[in-house]
Amino acid sequence: MPEPVFELKGVTVRYGAFAALSKVSLRIEAGERVALIGPSGAGKSTLLSLLNGSLAPTEGEVRLLGQDPTRLSTRALRRLQRQIGTVYQQFHLVPNLSVIHNVNAGHLGRWSLLQAVVSLIVPLERSRAARALAEVGIADKLYARTDTLSGGQQQRVAIARVLVQDPVAILADEPISSVDPERSREIMTLLRELCDRFDKTLVVSLHAIEYAYSHCERMIGLRAGQVVFDLPAAQVSPQMVEALYRIRDVDV
Amino acid sequence: MSVPSAAQRALPLPEAFSPWRSLLRGARLVALLTLLAVAWAATQTGVFRGDLINAGGWALVQQFFAAALRPELSPAFLRLTLESTLVTFAYAVCGLALSLVIGLAGGVLSSEVWWLVHQRPFVARPGSPWLIARGALALPRAIHEVLWGLFLVRILGLDPLVAILALGIPFGAITAKVFSEILDETPRDALRALLNSGAPPGHALLYGLLPRALPNLLSYTFYRLECAIRSATVLGVIGAGGLGYQVLLSLQSLRYGEMWTLIAALVLLSGITDWLSARVRQVLGAPARLEVNLAPGCEAQAAQLTRATPSSRGLLALLGLAVLVVPLALVYLQPDFGRLVSPRTQALLGQMLAEMFPPDLSGDQIARLLQLSLQTLAMSIVAMAIAGLFGLALAHPAARRERGPRWPYWLTRGGLLVLRAVPAPVWALLFLFVMFPGPLPGALALAVHNLGILGRLIAEAVENVDQRPTRALQHAGAPPLHAFFYSTLPMTIPQSLAYIFYRWEICARETVIVGFVGAGGLGRLLTEQLSSFDYPGLSATLIALFGLTFVVDMLSTVARRPLR
Repeated sequence: MPEPVFELKGVTVRYGAFAALSKVSLRIEAGERVALIGPSGAGKSTLLSLLNGSLAPTEGEVRLLGQDPTRLSTRALRRLQRQIGTVYQQFHLVPNLSVIHNVNAGHLGRWSLLQAVVSLIVPLERSRAARALAEVGIADKLYARTDTLSGGQQQRVAIARVLVQDPVAILADEPISSVDPERSREIMTLLRELCDRFDKTLVVSLHAIEYAYSHCERMIGLRAGQVVFDLPAAQVSPQMVEALYRIRDVDV
Repeated sequence: MSVPSAAQRALPLPEAFSPWRSLLRGARLVALLTLLAVAWAATQTGVFRGDLINAGGWALVQQFFAAALRPELSPAFLRLTLESTLVTFAYAVCGLALSLVIGLAGGVLSSEVWWLVHQRPFVARPGSPWLIARGALALPRAIHEVLWGLFLVRILGLDPLVAILALGIPFGAITAKVFSEILDETPRDALRALLNSGAPPGHALLYGLLPRALPNLLSYTFYRLECAIRSATVLGVIGAGGLGYQVLLSLQSLRYGEMWTLIAALVLLSGITDWLSARVRQVLGAPARLEVNLAPGCEAQAAQLTRATPSSRGLLALLGLAVLVVPLALVYLQPDFGRLVSPRTQALLGQMLAEMFPPDLSGDQIARLLQLSLQTLAMSIVAMAIAGLFGLALAHPAARRERGPRWPYWLTRGGLLVLRAVPAPVWALLFLFVMFPGPLPGALALAVHNLGILGRLIAEAVENVDQRPTRALQHAGAPPLHAFFYSTLPMTIPQSLAYIFYRWEICARETVIVGFVGAGGLGRLLTEQLSSFDYPGLSATLIALFGLTFVVDMLSTVARRPLR
């Protein structure tokens, strides 16, 4: 059996007395498309932070690409993090840089400091950046200032940054919550196609359940820090989703 | 929109590439002109001349620094230091109180929103009365506190009243300008809703606008307290008493041990005020000391992100403190308000004004003023180039961060505090130990003092920047310094440059005060004219100074525009 991309064994994350995740175990294999669903505060963002190595579990074991991030040196952790790209709800781009620099920021884990600084003056790897932008459908925005773009376009820039980073897995933390419904469909389709074409693993947290059904093959339902179900999308019934989001005993 | 499978197609790169375009869009011309201006100013002030250093002065410098190890700590001198500190503090408090009265009245009258709510319907009309009010405030603002002091002392005689007025009048005009801007930038939706439901204009302002503007107004007031302490010290240097005066006396009588004691007191007073002001802003949820150059609409966004409602208990405590401190300061200083209306004052004022007109605008005089204006301009540019460069470099270690060692923060912040606590004329005198008199020591003095202010302003801009893009890069495996160049630096550069240009406006006014200690420029000419009672010449110089500050303000505004 090949090594999973992500593996959690009995993981608990506590912030003070509050348990954001408790005793979560799961495996995600290479090439899977997984949707994380559940109400706000269920632990979706915490789970994604574990998966990109920016958060250490309070208890339990996390393995990313077969490695335990808590036992790595800073340098080795960075090397591991290069293999995992993240797309955020609020994009987390630098608004007053031009698009090409935000896209080229995907190279930073590989570039020397000199290369990084020189590229801010005379951009390096321009054709690579242009290709990534073409992949996400905004080839003409290469030299535009990032904050002149619409929300949907900025999310495409963030995805292009991840493409340039060329990771094994892409994590997306509510990537469509800041864009309108039509743009949402486009972004989700883009993510799915890119992952298919470049053979990447996708883990995406979503509030819009219809995209979890239409764009992912597996759904993990989280509620109050616990995995409620972990099933192929086809086997998740509307009743299960409704139970996941029901108000009663969420705010306990 | 469909996703093109464009990997196979050859891609033409869009448009031509131009470096830095993204960072300084539309500002390349400004950048080029700035560089040229700095080069010109450096030549003008004699940076490239050989005979700058007066080697004979090094012995004095050694003595000065050696004295740091044995400051004067006799009980009598400590007592004097304490009294001087209290005097400086009392001047600052009284001056600030006066400036608040002027600032509130002037600020309301020169705000667009005040005039708009009194019109019906709630729309702008040509012939804006607030612009007239703003124009009227430009004159008192253009004249530095020290100049006000020198004028008022001729009319009112030596009295604490002079220092209070000299501080309160220009500060009031500046405060009025900023207050009016704050009022106008505050979101108007609530105000509009109240007006539309039939509330009288005054009530609507009180309920719909003022509460929202209050954290910013208070935050700015406490920033002004920091400025007032510095200005009160400088006023001391020209004879009003207090710490600045004592520093000057000790320096001139070569008692360096005393100077170090006084400098320690200055740093302590400044440090406590700055800390208090920062705490107040924290309580108010308004993190920025001074927000310059916000694009329209940004204020509203920033407000939603960072502002908390001030706690009413904290507000009451503040108000109580103010009510207590201002009368105490007045009792301590004993200003003679009677002098304001005495016949002697009126006679002197009338006489002075009569002698000032007409100004001496002969051909010779104009040529001389032009030459000195250029020299003054060059001084301010060199000062800001140095302060800006070092400020940008020091601001990053001086920014408080969550991780990493704390000593760079304390070291740079402490250094910057000392630089700004020592007034510019004192720095100028120190530079004159080892340099020949001329514009350059003056420029250096202004540079060092302004670096202390600018470094901290930029550091706070760095602290307040959105951390998430930086974290996103680090979580994707970018080393910290790489992430800094791709997120923190580009995100903070526009605000930092805006601060530098804004500070340049103030620096241009401050050239006068280093002029008084012989550092050249229009300030030196003013001193000569004042001491020889050459009033027609004086008014001509004032016109030149006013023109200069107007030009600098305009250039700064134009240069800041593309940075938004």
